[in-house]
Amino acid sequence: MSLSEKNSVVFAYESSVHSTNVLLSLDDQRKQDILCDVTILVEDQRFRAHKAVLAACSSYFLSRIVGQLDADLIITLPEEVTLKGFSPLLQFAYTAKLILNKDNVSEVCKCAEFLGVRNIEESCFQFLKFKFLDCKSDQECPRKKCCTQHCRKVNPKISSVDDGDLEIDDEAEELIEKEYIQTSHTKLCKDDENAKASPALQDNTNPTSDPMHLEKGNVSSSSSQCPKYRKFQKAFGNDKVHTSDSSSSTKDIQVPPTVTFIEKEIPDNDSTPKAQECVPMQLVSQCEEAQVKMEEGEEDIEKKEESKRDSVTESISCPVEKMDVAAFPQNAAAPHGLNSVSFLRTCEQYGNLNFSSMQSTTILSEKTATGTGAESDKIESHDNATLKVDLCAREAINITSTGDRSSVEREVAEHLAKGFWSDIYSTEACQIHLPSAVPKERLEPAYSGKKSECPWLGIRISESPEPCSQRTFTTLSSVKCPFISNLSTEGCSNSSEISSGDYVQGQQQEQCPYNYVISLGEDSETDTEGDSESCSAREQECEVKLPFNAQRIISLSRNDFQSFLKMHKLTPEQLDCIHDIRRRSKNRIAAQRCRKRKLDCIQNLESEIEKLQNEKENLLKERNLILSTLGETKQNLTGLCQQVCKEAALSNEQIQILAKYSSSDCPLYFSFPERERTAPSEGELTAPTTAELVDGLLSVTPTEEQSSCYQRVKGVCDATYDQVQELHPVPVRTLEKTSLVEQCGQSGAITDFCQQMTDKCTTDE
Amino acid sequence: MEAPGKGGLVLGNLAEVVERVLGFLPTKALLRAACVCRLWRECARRILRTRQRLAWVSALEPGPPGGHTLVQALARELERVHVLPQTVLYIADAETFSGHEECHEHKKARKRNSKETAIAIEKLLPKRCQVLGLLTPGIVVTPMGSSSNQPQEIEDGEAGFALLFPKIDGVKIQTFHFPKEVKNRVIDENKFAEAGLKNNPDLRVVLLFGYNSWKSGATRFLHQIVNPLNEKSIILAGGQVESFTSLISENNNAQPSDACGVVGLAFSGPQIQSATVLLDQDVADERTAEAAMQRLKAANIPECNTIGFMFACVGRGYRHYKTKRNMEADAFRKFFPSVPLFGFFGHGEIGCDRIVTGNFVLRECNDVKDDLLHGYTTVMTLIHLGSTKANQA
Repeated sequence: MSLSEKNSVVFAYESSVHSTNVLLSLDDQRKQDILCDVTILVEDQRFRAHKAVLAACSSYFLSRIVGQLDADLIITLPEEVTLKGFSPLLQFAYTAKLILNKDNVSEVCKCAEFLGVRNIEESCFQFLKFKFLDCKSDQECPRKKCCTQHCRKVNPKISSVDDGDLEIDDEAEELIEKEYIQTSHTKLCKDDENAKASPALQDNTNPTSDPMHLEKGNVSSSSSQCPKYRKFQKAFGNDKVHTSDSSSSTKDIQVPPTVTFIEKEIPDNDSTPKAQECVPMQLVSQCEEAQVKMEEGEEDIEKKEESKRDSVTESISCPVEKMDVAAFPQNAAAPHGLNSVSFLRTCEQYGNLNFSSMQSTTILSEKTATGTGAESDKIESHDNATLKVDLCAREAINITSTGDRSSVEREVAEHLAKGFWSDIYSTEACQIHLPSAVPKERLEPAYSGKKSECPWLGIRISESPEPCSQRTFTTLSSVKCPFISNLSTEGCSNSSEISSGDYVQGQQQEQCPYNYVISLGEDSETDTEGDSESCSAREQECEVKLPFNAQRIISLSRNDFQSFLKMHKLTPEQLDCIHDIRRRSKNRIAAQRCRKRKLDCIQNLESEIEKLQNEKENLLKERNLILSTLGETKQNLTGLCQQVCKEAALSNEQIQILAKYSSSDCPLYFSFPERERTAPSEGELTAPTTAELVDGLLSVTPTEEQSSCYQRVKGVCDATYDQVQELHPVPVRTLEKTSLVEQCGQSGAITDFCQQMTDKCTTDE
Repeated sequence: MEAPGKGGLVLGNLAEVVERVLGFLPTKALLRAACVCRLWRECARRILRTRQRLAWVSALEPGPPGGHTLVQALARELERVHVLPQTVLYIADAETFSGHEECHEHKKARKRNSKETAIAIEKLLPKRCQVLGLLTPGIVVTPMGSSSNQPQEIEDGEAGFALLFPKIDGVKIQTFHFPKEVKNRVIDENKFAEAGLKNNPDLRVVLLFGYNSWKSGATRFLHQIVNPLNEKSIILAGGQVESFTSLISENNNAQPSDACGVVGLAFSGPQIQSATVLLDQDVADERTAEAAMQRLKAANIPECNTIGFMFACVGRGYRHYKTKRNMEADAFRKFFPSVPLFGFFGHGEIGCDRIVTGNFVLRECNDVKDDLLHGYTTVMTLIHLGSTKANQA
């Protein structure tokens, strides 16, 4: 390389922080308004910036800025660019960081597109949009859920109202039933430790009642909630629908409408008995539709109504099947008017029963009854919280309300029924729906009937802190009972509504399944965890019952343990369990020790093997050395012999005689001229080759020999390292006596063998 | 080498022909063929270098008795795979991994057994490959063959899979293991660096698996590991598993112990792109699950040479989705028709919503440090291992 070439060598220095630092200092300049040469006006707000930076970041600015000669340029951005969208982008231009949140993401996206900002990938906006969309839908869901919740509440009310109407005849009976049911249910609740549940229910009911009060004015809006109401709505026509549209967003409103609907319903019932029967069924069928719609997220009022109805119908249907088996035949037999009445009644009864199962529900019914009465009469009694009214009071109210309703309602009903009812719900359709609905209903009672007609109770039970497994909980929830699904939603709705202390309680309860699940999950982890042989499920159970913890059982010494057992009075099962736990833990410890010992043993063996292998390698090296020196000395010797022979001028015969008497490896052999040369030369040649082979770790040795030697060695070798040690002298000796080839084969076998042994040792682990 | 006839002449001299022919061989056969002569060895080496696509072996059903189904599948399929595995991640279900019979009677026998199974697997794999083996309560696996096979969520029953990562140009995969040690509470920074988790600008994805998480202090320990990693612009995903059964890496062979700890894989390489989404408790029906997948899809990660991971909670699965089975896996398949999906049902998840590519990072930035440890969730992660020409084979 010439001197000039050397001088022209180029080095490149590259800084990895320069670009970010430049950007940082530019950002500083912007903040301090140093060297800023452009002002951007967005929605009347001014931003100072550098032309160069903006032009470098955005194609829009590039086109706007290039060619402008003003010293201090002012760029007014068009309307498309909003303040919300622009300021993050400006920040991005100076910091490479874009702060996005739910509020601004869409606007930033729009602005970025408009401004042609570089280095921002569309995909991140997409990602965030989907994420925030998700959130939105989540938020929406609770609302919907709230609606359904209300519906349920409405149902009880409806039923109660219906009862009221029907009760004119059967009041006494129904009341008795209700009371009876109530009491039994309450007992159940207490038994199940679900005492909390009932207050929660009450809470739930309270919100509904409140909305009712509020929404007295908006009679129409309420139409959406109850399926029956829905029909009524339609019957009544546009007025209500319109109102419902306006109020659809607020689901709380629904409650009051239900009341009004109830009134309407009653007349309807009278006119179209069959239709009514069909209605609940239809409602059930509709529920499915409604759910689908809900999924679609349509927020139309009608849909909401449907969903509400569905929930209502579902709840109603359950009781209907159970209780009204008797009622159905009656309906069928009776003339239309009667049928409708009876049917309603049955529905009501069921509703009542359900509600009565929950204490709160009864209260609700009372409220609803009063509410309806008031509404029909247009008395402003709603304000009075009927919740606190005693049963007696309820009865009275019911009676009165029913009376009021009956008069008012009938008028309304007549109008409605004649006009719209038949049109909307064709009896045929209803009938078709019936069969499908029936099986469902049957299923539902079977599910809910066992413990309590109220699904809530069931759910609570699962929540209760008994050591039931997570799975049982999940299965419970997975049962297709509408109530359960509603339950969780209830919690949401409660929380969403401004809540009294009671609400909070309700919420907690709702949340508690999750909590519980989580804790259960942890438990199950310990259960299934492979290493710890700790407690089986049974053990755990026992542990729960034991007055002390398992750790103590394990940690105590034997004597202590005995005395400890005497101290506590334990049942035989517990004793068994304790002994079992102790035994297992002891076993575990023993096993651990055993394992450790074994591992130690293996480790020792391995290290020994390593040592021996090292030793073997050293020996092999030594042997090679010796071999080479041997070769040298042999050559020297032959040289000497030849010299001697020449000097002595020995004849061939003489040499032969000499060779005969000298040992076989005497160099005299090698110095043989012509005739004798072949044999010895062979020996001479093999020596170096074998040495080579040994050097090459013997891998190249002819396989036949190797295998034979290997077999031999293997046969002998049971004691491993002793042999290896012994083998050392063997090769040296064989060098002299046996053929070299064989020897090398043997040593190959030895290494093989050693490898095998190490393999074995490692696998034994 | 003697070359009888023209065929011998061609196969002994023409590298192009030999390479083409040998190119059809699976790796094991190829390595055997490489012993024939120098030419073949060179060809085999070149061929192996081009095989940079991920391969996997999956076992979905219990095989014939004698050994875990995954072991049998591995023994069978390793003869057929076309990659030389350098890193292997295998996950099997904990219930059956240790054998059916023993586990009911003696748990002692069970543990030894799982170790034996693990060793059986390790012996099947090449000596110098890194192995990470995990046991989990449930498995998510894509059947072998096409990467567009329908992934299956197997919540209980014998199943397992092994992901075989070859040596991929520009991608470095390292295993790491941080056991919780009683002595020193602070984690050794050097170990972090050694695992490639520190001073490694190319680090993109870290899959973390906590084990023995029921031990006291396990969560805190996991936080200790996760939090420093969370500072970086990398994807973190993973979960809590029952235990790990094997870990063989370049410099340490860890034995499963009773203490808790964290094992994992660190993927580094400038070409790696990755995105992850978290499906939280609210995601409980088809619509929301698909919305989440849509979000993942929006991250716009290339689909070739990409793996999907799904780490779900044992509490999810079909019970969570109102007895609809395979919901999440189906939703994934719907949006990613050609990405194989693997994962497990574990005892807790690590993850968040995040995108990391060579060009940008999208992550949540709250004042409060976002917590990556979740329960009752599902973490879906896509890892794209680059699209060099070699990968297009």
